[in-house]
Amino acid sequence: MNSIIIGQYIPGKGFLYRLDPRTKMISIIFLMVSVFLLQNVYQLFIAFGIGILVLLFGRISLLKVIKGLKPIFLLLIFTFIFQIALNKSGDVVSDTTMHINLYSIGAVVLAFVIWRILVRFNKLKMLLFLVFVVGIYFIFRYITYSPDFYSFQFTIYEKGLEMSAFVVVRLLIIITLTTILTLTTKPTDLTQGMESLLHPLKKIGFNSEEFALIISISLRYIPTIFDEAQKIMLAQASRGADFSEGKLKDKLKQIVSLLVPMFIIAFIRSEELADAMESRNFVPGQKRTRINILTFSIVDVYTFVFTLLCFAGAIVAKVVL
Amino acid sequence: MSIISVQDVSFAYNDDHESLKNISFSIEKGEWIAILGHNGSGKSTLAKAMVGLIEPQVGEIFIDSVKLNEETSYDLRKKVGIVFQNPDNQFVGVTVRDDIAFGMENLSIPREEMLERIQFYADKVEMGAYLDKQASNLSGGQKQRVAIAGILAMRSDILIFDEATSMLDPYTRNDILEYMKSLNKEGFTVIMITHDVNEAIQADRIMIMNQGRIIAFDKTEEILKNQKLFIENHLELPIALEIALKIDKSEYRDKIWEYALKK
Repeated sequence: MNSIIIGQYIPGKGFLYRLDPRTKMISIIFLMVSVFLLQNVYQLFIAFGIGILVLLFGRISLLKVIKGLKPIFLLLIFTFIFQIALNKSGDVVSDTTMHINLYSIGAVVLAFVIWRILVRFNKLKMLLFLVFVVGIYFIFRYITYSPDFYSFQFTIYEKGLEMSAFVVVRLLIIITLTTILTLTTKPTDLTQGMESLLHPLKKIGFNSEEFALIISISLRYIPTIFDEAQKIMLAQASRGADFSEGKLKDKLKQIVSLLVPMFIIAFIRSEELADAMESRNFVPGQKRTRINILTFSIVDVYTFVFTLLCFAGAIVAKVVL
Repeated sequence: MSIISVQDVSFAYNDDHESLKNISFSIEKGEWIAILGHNGSGKSTLAKAMVGLIEPQVGEIFIDSVKLNEETSYDLRKKVGIVFQNPDNQFVGVTVRDDIAFGMENLSIPREEMLERIQFYADKVEMGAYLDKQASNLSGGQKQRVAIAGILAMRSDILIFDEATSMLDPYTRNDILEYMKSLNKEGFTVIMITHDVNEAIQADRIMIMNQGRIIAFDKTEEILKNQKLFIENHLELPIALEIALKIDKSEYRDKIWEYALKK
C-alpha cells in the first residue's frame, strides 16, 4: 500500500545528500554547460573521470546510476551506430565486407533467440543487448560459407569513431548529472529549491510559491490516487472487467471503466481539499511563513568552488585549446 | 453573549432545493454540542456555513459577536477549526510536520514558534514521534489526529468535527471521541456533527436535523426522553434505550429488574 516511491530518490548519506537542493540545481546547470563547451572526446573522458570521482566521493553506488541510464540506453546505442555508420571523414580505421547470406541470417536469428532467452533469466539486460548488437556485426563480417545475397562495405572512419564516442560520452555525462540530482534529492526538496530559484520571476507575474504548492500537493496525492486506482481496479475486476487480457480495443474499454470513476473521485477530492485548505486560512497569493527552510552550509560553498573550477576549466579548454 | 449565534439562516445549493431552512440557534462557550441527522439532513452544510465556506442567502451568523461575512471570514476562521470526514482529503502537507504547520504558515506565524507549537500539539494528539512520516504511511485515525493538531496549533477555540469519525474503525473512533471529550473539558467549544446516535449522546446538548430544519435542540437527557424524535427522523435508537425498550417488552422484565436492583 505504501510501497511506491515517487521519483528516484534513494535515502543515503554522503555529502551529496547534505547539499542544499539549490546548490545541486545551479551546479548541475553549470556543469552541463561546461560539458557542452568541451571540444573533443579526450576532454570529455577527463570530465567523465571527474564525474566518476565525484560519485565515489559522494558514496553513490555506480550500479544505481547505471540503472538510471536504462531509459536512454537504446538511444545511446543507436546514436553510436549511426555516428559510426554515417560519419565519413578522417582516416579509415577499419574496412570490412559484410556478408548477408543464408548462414549469416540464420545465425542472426539464432543469436536473437538466445538473446531473448537470456534476457528472461538475467538482470544485465542492457549488457546482453550490447553483446547482441556487437554479435550481429561479427556474424555479418565472418560468416562467409555460402553465396551472398548481398554484400556491402562497412567502413569505420577515425572521425566517425571519435564523434560517436564524443556524442555518447556527452550524453552519458549529462544523464548521470541529472540522475545524481534525482537520486539524492527528495521531490519535496526539489520543489522547494525550484520555488526559491524561480522566486525572482515574481516580478513578471509568475508566482513560484503557488507553483511549488501545486507540485507538492500533487506529489502528496500520488500514492493516495494510486491506492484508489487499485481499489477501483479490484472493484471493476469483481464485476468482470479484465485489465490484462483481450484485444487492444477491449483493453481501452476497460481502462475507461477505471478512468471515469477516478476522475469523478479526483474532482470530489479536490473540492474537499480546497475546503480544508480554505478553512485553515489559506488565501492564494497571500504572504506565508515557511516551516521548511533551505540553508546553505560550508559543503555548499565547496561545491560551488568545485563547479566554478570545472566551468573555468571548460572555458579555458574552449578558448585556448 | 453566545460564542456562536445563528439567526434565521437559509441556504440553497440550487434553486429548487433548500439545504438549510430558517435555522436559528446559539451555542455557549465551552459547550459540547452534537448535531445529529441522517444523510442529506443539512448538517454538513450547516458546518460549512459556520466556517464561512458557504455564504447563506438569508440570515446571519455571529461568531464571538462578529458577523461572519466575506471580510471577516479570514479572522473568524482563526477561531473556528474544522475537521472533515475524509482523513485523506484534508492532509495538505507532505509530512505530518508540514501538515500541522500548514494553517500556521497561512497565518504567518514565525518559524521558531511554529516548531514549538508543532511539537506541543503533536505530542498532545500522540503523534509526536511521527513528525517526519508521510501521509501515505499513516492510518486514518492518525491522519485525523494530525488534522486535530493542525487546527489546535492555529489556536482555534471552537472545534467542529464534521463526521470526523465516520470513516474510522470503532476502536479509533472511540479514541477520537475521547480527544473531543478531553478538549471540551479543557474549555474548547466542541461541535460534533454525526449520524451516529451513540456518539451524539455523549454531548451536552443534541440538535436533531432533518430536511434542512432543526427538529429539536435540547439537553441530551431531554432528547433521550423522547423516543419518537429518533424514529421520526430516521435515526437509530441509542443502544441503551433500545435495550431498555426490549427489556420493557420482554416477559422476563420483572426478573431483570429484580436482578438489577439486587446488584
